[in-house]
Amino acid sequence: MSNTQELKNLVNYGLVKAHVAMGLVFFIIVALMGFLYSLQLDGIYPFPGIEFLSPGRVRMIHTAGAAYGFLVNMFTGLLYWAVPRFTGYRVLSDALGWFMFWALQAAVLITVVAILFLGMADNVEWGETPWWIDPIIVFWLLLHLIQFGAPLYKASQRGPLYVSGWYISAMLVWTPLVVFMGNLIPRFWSVGSGAGAVQSTFIHDLVGLYVTPVAWGLMYYFVPVIMKKPMWSHGLSLLGFWGLAFFYPMNGVHHFLWSPIPMFAQYSAVFATVAVEFAVTSVLINFMMTLRGSAEQLKYNVPLRYMYTGAIFYWITCFQCAFHVTLTFQKIIHFTDWVTGHAHLIMFGTFGLWVLGMAEYIWPRLFGKETMYSKGLSEGAYWLLGIGVFAMFVDLTAGGLVQGFDWIGLNPWIDSVNFSKPFWIFRSVAGIMMITGLLMYAVNFYKTATAGKSLSAELKSQSV
Amino acid sequence: MGKMERFSFVALVAGIIFFLFADFVSWALPMFVLKDIPKKSVIDLAKEAKAKNTTAWSDFQKIARAYPEQFKKYYGEVNEESFAKALSVGHRWYIAEGCWNCHSQMVRPVSNETLRFGIPGVSNTVSYPSEYNNELQAPVLWGTKRIGQDLIREAAVHNLGWQVAHLYNPRNTSPGSVMPGYPWYFEKDEKGNIVPNERGIGLLAYIMWLGSWEVKPPKDFRIEVANK
Repeated sequence: MSNTQELKNLVNYGLVKAHVAMGLVFFIIVALMGFLYSLQLDGIYPFPGIEFLSPGRVRMIHTAGAAYGFLVNMFTGLLYWAVPRFTGYRVLSDALGWFMFWALQAAVLITVVAILFLGMADNVEWGETPWWIDPIIVFWLLLHLIQFGAPLYKASQRGPLYVSGWYISAMLVWTPLVVFMGNLIPRFWSVGSGAGAVQSTFIHDLVGLYVTPVAWGLMYYFVPVIMKKPMWSHGLSLLGFWGLAFFYPMNGVHHFLWSPIPMFAQYSAVFATVAVEFAVTSVLINFMMTLRGSAEQLKYNVPLRYMYTGAIFYWITCFQCAFHVTLTFQKIIHFTDWVTGHAHLIMFGTFGLWVLGMAEYIWPRLFGKETMYSKGLSEGAYWLLGIGVFAMFVDLTAGGLVQGFDWIGLNPWIDSVNFSKPFWIFRSVAGIMMITGLLMYAVNFYKTATAGKSLSAELKSQSV
Repeated sequence: MGKMERFSFVALVAGIIFFLFADFVSWALPMFVLKDIPKKSVIDLAKEAKAKNTTAWSDFQKIARAYPEQFKKYYGEVNEESFAKALSVGHRWYIAEGCWNCHSQMVRPVSNETLRFGIPGVSNTVSYPSEYNNELQAPVLWGTKRIGQDLIREAAVHNLGWQVAHLYNPRNTSPGSVMPGYPWYFEKDEKGNIVPNERGIGLLAYIMWLGSWEVKPPKDFRIEVANK
């Protein structure tokens, strides 16, 4: 009891709940936006001729919303849970935390209004926020640095930090640099191909230096906690972290291969991307070996299953990346749906499933309950999300190959559009599966949060 | 090993040093290599189009002739300033509508792209750095996905009538297209005809400008001139 009380004093439950709930809301909104956009490609867009619901604008909400509305909210909420618990210190300030919470929601809402209604967008993929929002986001990220940097710094005065601490410390420093560099340098200090090089680094670094390290940091915390055993190898943890830290920042230019960016930058990006695959594999080996002997937990522990499913998708994506990053593969698959499939497998299939698993683990605990409201909803959501995203990945990968070879073959352009249509329809169907899964997940969350005391008592007696 | 696992070490080495090293390789060096290419502002581009009498300039005059009322109302006279204004307006709405999500602006030297985009023999060149060194490519519009065609060699491929019909409803000119129509770039004039409005004129001028610097007179024309 006293242990629970101590942990309660450590973690601000309100901030965790608020961020995770908003993250889930935005997850559903951006998924709906993506689905809406896919209907345009199927030729059945429900709002033709309405300016502010134009599919091009909706698509920018899909991507920018996924970055700032969904991922930043979810990760920040999970950090408010994990960081104080593994460092043993509170975050810098609760008042600052609430200010940051409202500032983040305001920034996302302003972005949505600006893109949909005012026609103000920025042509940086994943940085579609209007440029005047970007300094505010950088400032927010600096607050984020001191908010979570404080407990990490205090803990490292006492002794070495746990693995999660390395990933999160590095991420706290990287992210403001990445957002500043990616959004403001190509607009004010650079132009043309030089700006293209900066932009490509942004596209990749927001994934590689924000989403990836914060997600791995959380995985290194949640997986051992759930399985109640340490990671298999500390050496592999070190190798994985430093491999990622050195090679990942150099990956960006691989988004613009065969472009007018000087070739040495393109070659270095290809080399670094292949190198990252080795770091990723070392991390995956570490997680799989940690699972050894506890694999039966995957049968009944849905959060853990989310995490390992995401980890396998992660490895598939990175393995695929090591091949399609080469200049040979790029001839065929660049600009095709292959890339879209790849992006969905990593963002939804890996990071999406991870945060859902982590949120499902902490959610009942935040409300003093031992399990989620419904096992059926929990399982159903898992299978719909997992199968849905993998089906979408396979479908888009195949569709991408069709498009790529069709373009090389110099057939009339409209042929590639017509050939893609069945793939796009299948993609929308997979999207329906994913959205249904998300809605089931959200209902389960809502019911868990609002369930009466009797439910929690009943569950407690069952689980003993 | 203990030192490597401290906040300060990770923040300094991984957070700052590795990051700066990577950025030095992947964008500081490319920027340095490309630094001697002059940066052009929108008005420079407009002046260049007029001085070289490119297709973009003649297309801009065609817009003014085809829609005199709207042109006069929104852009005034045909000159460099009004062309620069049209390019800026078009560029702004090209970004705001997310055109760049489905149309790239980069012709690669591989995959037969030089044969597909532009007009073979007239404007079929690979993208090169200096054509992006202008205000309308900050940030660059290379794009990462093609559902429609690449647009950086669009000039002189289609005429004004085609562009107008296509922008209003792409199925008019390209059956099977999945591009949405953009009726809010048009308005009705006094006779009830559908004509482009301010944003529409800007967007048309911008799209027809893309790649106009690459369009050379057709070969037989050049031979004629040489014979004179």
